[in-house]
Amino acid sequence: MTTGSAASQAAVATEADRPAPRRGSVSRRRQTRTAWGLALPFCLLFLVFTAGPVLGSLWMSVTDIRNTDIRSPFAVNFVGFDNYTKLFQDPLFHTVAWNTALYVVLGVPLTMVMALAAAVGLNGISRLRGFFRIGYYLPVVTSIVAVSVVWRFLLRPDGGLVNTVLGYVGIDGPAWLDSTSLALPSLIVMAAWRNLGTLMVVFLAGLQTVPKDVLEAASLDGASAWQRFRNVTLPTIRPILLFGAVITSIGYLQFFEEAYVMTKGGPLDSTRSVTFYTYDQFGFGNYGYAAAMSYVLFVAVVLLTLIQFRALRTKD
Amino acid sequence: MTTHPTPVGRTRRRASLRAAPARRLAALATAGALLALPACGRSSDSGPGTSKQDISSGKATGTITVWAMGTEGAELGSFVKDFETANPDADVKVTAIPWESAHDKISTAIASGDTPDVSLIGTTWMGEFSQADGLEPTPDGLVDPGSFYEGAWNSTEVDGTSYGVPWYVETRVLYYRKDLAAQAGWDKAPTSWRELSAFAADLKSKAGVDMPLYVQPGQTGSWQTALPFVWSAGGQMTDQAGTAYTLDSDAMKAGLTFYKSLFDDGYSTTGTLDAGQLESDFAKGDIGAFISGPWEIGLVKDAGLDAGKFAVAPLPGQESGMGTSFIGGGDLAVFRDAKNRDGAWKLVQWLSQPDVQTNWYETMSDLPAVKSAWDGGSLADDQMLSVFGEQLNNGEAPPTTPTWEQVAAVIDSDIEQVVKGKKDVGAAASDMQKQAQSIGTGL
Repeated sequence: MTTGSAASQAAVATEADRPAPRRGSVSRRRQTRTAWGLALPFCLLFLVFTAGPVLGSLWMSVTDIRNTDIRSPFAVNFVGFDNYTKLFQDPLFHTVAWNTALYVVLGVPLTMVMALAAAVGLNGISRLRGFFRIGYYLPVVTSIVAVSVVWRFLLRPDGGLVNTVLGYVGIDGPAWLDSTSLALPSLIVMAAWRNLGTLMVVFLAGLQTVPKDVLEAASLDGASAWQRFRNVTLPTIRPILLFGAVITSIGYLQFFEEAYVMTKGGPLDSTRSVTFYTYDQFGFGNYGYAAAMSYVLFVAVVLLTLIQFRALRTKD
Repeated sequence: MTTHPTPVGRTRRRASLRAAPARRLAALATAGALLALPACGRSSDSGPGTSKQDISSGKATGTITVWAMGTEGAELGSFVKDFETANPDADVKVTAIPWESAHDKISTAIASGDTPDVSLIGTTWMGEFSQADGLEPTPDGLVDPGSFYEGAWNSTEVDGTSYGVPWYVETRVLYYRKDLAAQAGWDKAPTSWRELSAFAADLKSKAGVDMPLYVQPGQTGSWQTALPFVWSAGGQMTDQAGTAYTLDSDAMKAGLTFYKSLFDDGYSTTGTLDAGQLESDFAKGDIGAFISGPWEIGLVKDAGLDAGKFAVAPLPGQESGMGTSFIGGGDLAVFRDAKNRDGAWKLVQWLSQPDVQTNWYETMSDLPAVKSAWDGGSLADDQMLSVFGEQLNNGEAPPTTPTWEQVAAVIDSDIEQVVKGKKDVGAAASDMQKQAQSIGTGL
């Protein structure tokens, strides 16, 4: 906020002062000084608490720093890209990278489709809308620990709700969280359920910006409901879909809590994610290696965001 | 769910399930806060100081600051009144810190040089903090190492130097349903691996117990249940000097083969238990026996099982007699940056006196690390606890290498693959060794 207002103030000053340069330069300088004065606290905080650690961890990722080096953090060896090379040869890193990719590729579309469906549904009703909106949003604000306890009960192999219901139709439900092939999908479904609320609220707001007259015109031209949705609604809310895709992907790439509380990364590392592995490595005291892994994840987040901007950008 | 990576006893076990994320994220923050300045490279001698200094004679004086975690921290302040009476010029200030943030706080304190004088240190942290040059070697003659349980004393020794004094201990024993065992025709606990298998088989066939002997199927902390079988078979995790891992041994294979048989024969489960399920199933009779530490006595009773219906026994040995169990607990260490090191060591010395240890048990129910402290008070009369006292004579502490937690995670992962049939025992043992070697001891 500080920088923003300071910058606009400076811009205003530039415009206003143009006719009288001599007198203006004094007041402009004063305004610049004020602007910097206002921006300074933020800049300092940013340097110390954001830029500093970011650069510090970048430096760590090219050294062999460990937890036993904390008293002399600079007396460590520079190892260049060794941590990164080691990382790409680490079989467990391949596993966790694959798990994370699956989580994003399956989880993001699932969450978005569910959120959009919920938003469209809510947009079409007028009664009880508030009730349903709260209902869908509630998981977002509920503690993950409470959620995990309930879901572990739901997914219990014997007597869990899911398997009991499956039993009614004659299906012998598996041990969801103890199966290497089903544990990750189970977590993805849980994450989609937990996160759809936020996107739903955003999408709902987007749907209300779709011009009614265009929809009516389309309907007069004989467009079916699906055609109206496909050709009018979706293109209108495209920027909002992009926003949803980006924030959900960034969140899902850093997937950690669900696995941490539900499966501890198991069975057989099938739900261990990149963030989880990074966290493990920090815990083991391998600061350099863990920092390198964080940067790989960072690059992945940037790349994925760029791809999404390209794929979903507004066509002119 | 039954065990935990950092073996510091009941409090630690409970606390650190929640503790870990905060601790590791904080480690990340601490580490991240180090600014990018040109690295100067390691000096050739990067190890910590090992020279020991004597402490002054006479009474302790001045302020002694102490950090202690959990309930220990809450109780210690009033407990040290006797010490202050005996040393009128000394003033002990105890700060209770939660287990959740303890590792991080100590780590930050060592990094900044602003430490207390003494702290309780979880046994698995000794390697890291001593190698970070944060702890002072134990002065010669401060205490008699022989008066402690050997496994407990070993938890203070890193690379041949002791950096503290054991305060309290815990170990793992066999819990079993006495009533169900009697139904199955067993009026005593098994004392060999063969008997243990037969015991489980009888519990299943004669007493109808669904899961006669639960042991953890891999995942965090399973090494604490599995490695006792390896130790019992004569295995060691490191060489004599503690400078290289020796995981690919015949004892490792023997121990893992037996551990795996408990799953193959259907005595345990490869599925995970929910929190509290172990105790409730044990109380219901769905689980007939399991291996765990002293805190479980209270939890089992809380689950509604009458004290007469279950018993504890030392772990069975490979052929006969008592097996080797795991020893965990807490150590007291004095920091290199302590402002009152003489007073600090004197307090540590006082806390490890047998009668003080006995009193501490009465206050906290922490099992004493000093052997002779078990001769007095209610400890001597408690039949269940005497089993723990017996087992402590035959217990191993995990290696105190700074990288042990990472190696333990490798072992956990290989144990899981073995019991789930993804890897045979030989391949698992050689994988453990290969990975442990590439991790290194960190000394």
